[in-house]
Amino acid sequence: MIQTIFNGVVTGLLVALPALTLALTFSVLRFANFAIGAMLTAGAYTVYAFNAGLGWPLLPSAIAGCVVGGIMAVLIDAVVYRRLRDRSGVTLLVASMGVAFVLENAVRFIAGNSPAGYQVDPARPLRVGEHLRINHEQLVVAAVSLVALLAIWALFRLTPLGRAMRAVADNPSLATARGVDANRVIGTTWFIAGVLATAAGTLIGLDATLDPQMGWNYVIQVFAATILGGIAHPMAAVFGALTLGVIAELSTLVLPPHYRPLVAFAVLTMLLLVRPWGVFGTARIAK
Amino acid sequence: MTLALQLDEISAGYHGKTIIHGVSLHVPAGGALTVIGPNGSGKSTLLKAVVGLLPLESGTLTLGASRIDPLDAPRRARLGLGYVPQEHNVFPNLSVLDNLKLGWEGVHGGRRDSASQRDRLDAVLALFPEIATRLRTAAGLLSGGQRQMAAMASALMQQPSVLVLDEPSAGLSPRNAALLFERIADVRRTGVTLLMIEQNVRLGLTVADHGVVLVSGRVRQQRPAQALLQDTDLPRLFFGHEPATPSEATVST
Repeated sequence: MIQTIFNGVVTGLLVALPALTLALTFSVLRFANFAIGAMLTAGAYTVYAFNAGLGWPLLPSAIAGCVVGGIMAVLIDAVVYRRLRDRSGVTLLVASMGVAFVLENAVRFIAGNSPAGYQVDPARPLRVGEHLRINHEQLVVAAVSLVALLAIWALFRLTPLGRAMRAVADNPSLATARGVDANRVIGTTWFIAGVLATAAGTLIGLDATLDPQMGWNYVIQVFAATILGGIAHPMAAVFGALTLGVIAELSTLVLPPHYRPLVAFAVLTMLLLVRPWGVFGTARIAK
Repeated sequence: MTLALQLDEISAGYHGKTIIHGVSLHVPAGGALTVIGPNGSGKSTLLKAVVGLLPLESGTLTLGASRIDPLDAPRRARLGLGYVPQEHNVFPNLSVLDNLKLGWEGVHGGRRDSASQRDRLDAVLALFPEIATRLRTAAGLLSGGQRQMAAMASALMQQPSVLVLDEPSAGLSPRNAALLFERIADVRRTGVTLLMIEQNVRLGLTVADHGVVLVSGRVRQQRPAQALLQDTDLPRLFFGHEPATPSEATVST
């Protein structure tokens, strides 16, 4: 039981980081970035290029990959989304589908279709007490996710940049009149989203293997977790991810493991019937 | 006489349709100018063009000694132009305090909690004691009058030399509107220059030195506010004819 809950928390944290990324871009830019899965894949492979291609250890590879991932996200914004800034969220959603196809196929073109893995030293699992076994990868996933979540919370709530991001989310034209350079704030938001997506992609690649479909496999879970928490609230997405992760893992105690996604989505559907705006979401103050 | 804000022959509009036609206005430093006019005369469009939310088709804008018409809205704000729109004038999901801090940070940059920012906050809250007790409230949950004050306070955090107000009394009860205009008079006494449009002609002209009547995007009259206030001919100025209906006649009072 303890092992199951722990596994659920780690699975949840794995989804939490991309869910946070999705909620971050949604809350500032007001559109659902469908390319989140492809960003995870592209990020994971960028790190792989440093790690396996150049032979760097994983940590410096991940740091370099995050920077490249951030820059890539800013470039995508400049080339695609910036031109569509005044359009509806649906137009941007469709544009992000296009971005997803391009990114995923670029990865396929460069890295090929076969699965790959990071070059890391194998480590023995830790034993805690009698019932809990913790993999090295699980520890890394938990630590990186928690640090990233805390950093984003602090950025959003405690810094002038976070305030400017929330202001642009609320009323971009008023933010401009108050002296805020909205384009710079949006660019920074994309950079952070690119860094987070790369970190998340790396963790997913570390947990399993890398393949060009890896991000796509997470898209639905990420959207589910984000909506469960309330899509306009970055931290609530984390709660959504953890809940889905734990519930899905607990279901394996009574159901065969391949029913995990079914259980998670059944919970999501029921919750949406009761609270369509998410658990922590409130009807946003629009005026 | 030093001019704080100078509009020379400006024209502006939407989607190729010109709404403001060659408007020239000069606002002296420390002065207050109120633009009045019937609905649809282009008053809000004029202010949007001044603050940079709408591009000019022609003409020049000068703030103090600087030409600002080639600059975008954030740069105009940093040079000293504060703006309070008629609607959507606060960040509703941010607390009142965050709204105020953002007013400072947008213009002065993000250095954290400097002493001068705190001094400014104290000075602004002293002008608007009504919101000082509601700093932690989401601005979108404030009542109409308090929201208008929070919006003005947030713009004042920018330390603007010129404050541009779009229909401050819109949607307020007569009592709240009167209270708000007392506050506007207080703001004026701190030395801030005011450019305002206002549907409530009496309130708008009482705090001003000069009044301008804008009709169909053109300046119809420009006179000392007191003279305009006592003009029984205002309905004719507004509508170009004698008042035909009681509702038109009441606009001037």
